[in-house]
Amino acid sequence: MPVFLALQSRRVIPFWGRGAAAASSAASRRCDEELYPGSSRAQQCAQPCPSCWEVPADIISTVEFNHTGELLATGDKGGRVVIFQREQESKNQPHRRGEYNVYSTFQSHEPEFDYLKSLEIEEKINKIRWLPQQNAAYFLLSTNDKTVKLWKVSERDKRPEGYNLKDEDGRLRDPSMITVLRVPVLRPMDLMVEATPRRVFANAHTYHINSISVNSDYETYMSADDLRINLWNFEITNQSFNIVDIKPANMEELTEVITAAEFHPHHCNTFVYSSSKGTIRLCDMRAAALCDRHAKFFEEPEDPSNRSFFSEIISSISDVKFSHSGRYIMTRDYLTVKVWDLNMENRPIETYQVHDYLRSKLCSLYENDCIFDKFECVWNGSDSVIMTGSYNNFFRMFDRNTKRDVTLEASRENSKPRAILKPRKVCVGGKRRKDEISVDSLDFSKKILHTAWHPSENIIAVAATNNLYIFQDKVN
Amino acid sequence: MLGRGLKRKLSDYEENMAGLSSAFDSSRGLPYPLKRQLVLNMCLTKLQTYKMLVEPNLHRSVLIANTVRQIQEEMRQESNQQPVNICPGIAPASHSYTGMESPGISLQLPSGVGQQESHCCDLRSFPENTGLKLEDDRQDLKGAECVFGSFEISNSTSYLKDLAIDDIFEDIDTSMYDSDFCCPPLMPTDLSELDHIMEILVGS
Repeated sequence: MPVFLALQSRRVIPFWGRGAAAASSAASRRCDEELYPGSSRAQQCAQPCPSCWEVPADIISTVEFNHTGELLATGDKGGRVVIFQREQESKNQPHRRGEYNVYSTFQSHEPEFDYLKSLEIEEKINKIRWLPQQNAAYFLLSTNDKTVKLWKVSERDKRPEGYNLKDEDGRLRDPSMITVLRVPVLRPMDLMVEATPRRVFANAHTYHINSISVNSDYETYMSADDLRINLWNFEITNQSFNIVDIKPANMEELTEVITAAEFHPHHCNTFVYSSSKGTIRLCDMRAAALCDRHAKFFEEPEDPSNRSFFSEIISSISDVKFSHSGRYIMTRDYLTVKVWDLNMENRPIETYQVHDYLRSKLCSLYENDCIFDKFECVWNGSDSVIMTGSYNNFFRMFDRNTKRDVTLEASRENSKPRAILKPRKVCVGGKRRKDEISVDSLDFSKKILHTAWHPSENIIAVAATNNLYIFQDKVN
Repeated sequence: MLGRGLKRKLSDYEENMAGLSSAFDSSRGLPYPLKRQLVLNMCLTKLQTYKMLVEPNLHRSVLIANTVRQIQEEMRQESNQQPVNICPGIAPASHSYTGMESPGISLQLPSGVGQQESHCCDLRSFPENTGLKLEDDRQDLKGAECVFGSFEISNSTSYLKDLAIDDIFEDIDTSMYDSDFCCPPLMPTDLSELDHIMEILVGS
């Protein structure tokens, strides 16, 4: 199990206006974050330093590393996307090893109004998924409840100067004054990162989009809402194929919804989707155009000793993720994380208790709606450790090989830069030890729903409401 | 809406956890039918709240509706198995609803029930009352499931019709819920705790 130390955290400031400037114009902002332990305020950030920028942040709703781990994208409730880039390691500033700095900020989605139904469509970013890099630009998909957008994030560090027919302001020159032919040349300029929407995939979902997944062919992707899954080609925005439809003819007969969906990492014809009844279906797109008949059906028989009025609610799967190897899938329901072998449908091969002490509190959690919280789960790069969030800003990691687990906390008090994260423990009964926290003292408003793990290194990003924490393995 | 919390001897709960649900969670002494009724009330309250929203959450509505359906099915099976004899206190469902009304939801009992002389011996006539019509069991949730219909524009007028919440129970015999229902006292050990809970539910 890696030992994590606190690398950095981003604090929230009130959002200071739409069309927030890109990283370069925020260079003049100073931060009051402690640079190194023990440094006084006078020593902190004597000059503007990129790693300590405050960025406007609403409640973070999604976190995702790109395929190399160089970039980390966050989406928030206000429809904004903030992309962080890992700094190149330099000998001059070894304490800044591999920190993530703001690379680009843009407004991905705006609130919309559906006039037909008199409904406001939230701009909250539900998911971000990166495309693998194929040229100098970066591409990502971001989605709210109804519309998926493909964004291109590219750098510009040169600009053409010396146009023949227009002057430097862009105004056309008087042709009669031009006596010499000159060809523009590219001159260096300050780095500018710009994000442009390249495709907008709209009007394909009646219900709320909960997942998007890029196919391994890099040509198609899918978007899933409560009742349907659509397949898109990146080049075509006015058409999509419906590949799963579980809407009953009579809505009053509805008893199950789709909660998450993902493509297989290697087989472009295979995908899975999870349901509110705790089941996972694996579908093969080669079998039929409409994948209503699953190829595999994963369901664990209910444990009669744990039966309660809330059994069905807590069995609803909130996230499903393929392992990097493609051999396993991981599912998260309210109290557990389960690992399934694709070759065994009748039960998971591993079950991990995230916070079983909540089992006796289900009625209260139902009353305050916490029981509907949708926690995500992630694999590490080698599929040996899995991570998921909990309440009180706790998050949990499970080592599949050693069967050890740890509870860590993402909070400012416990995450001074370079501080090693201390394992936390919840006391379930009896005498509470000094550092333990009792179940009744847990803060259920502080929930960690979104986490991300670097694809190859032990660097994790944890979203705690409107703060982003980045933790890195202690290397010595 | 569901009443004030019980005084607790254990450590404090957070403010947002109302008393009854914490009573449910902590108390082992609550009789099962009471717990079930509590959960049912919470579910119906939530569905009612969602109906007032412009766009209720489909996922949550489905989960809650399934829970309601499950509880009602259980209650239905229990009442079907109920022995048609007069032995007071034996009928399993009878003692759980003494004097209890569902707070927060104005149930309008079918007009005949209020005047019903409900003695224990009326259990004999139970199957003859407006008993549970199993073939109409879809009607039970019709009001609640209206939230599903609101998700799409439909030509069907049934989706646009706003059913009153009491339609859910129009074919369930509610004579058991009548406050005049006199029933032999419960096991003495449960009585004080149950009384306390009743007070909370009835809002006295």
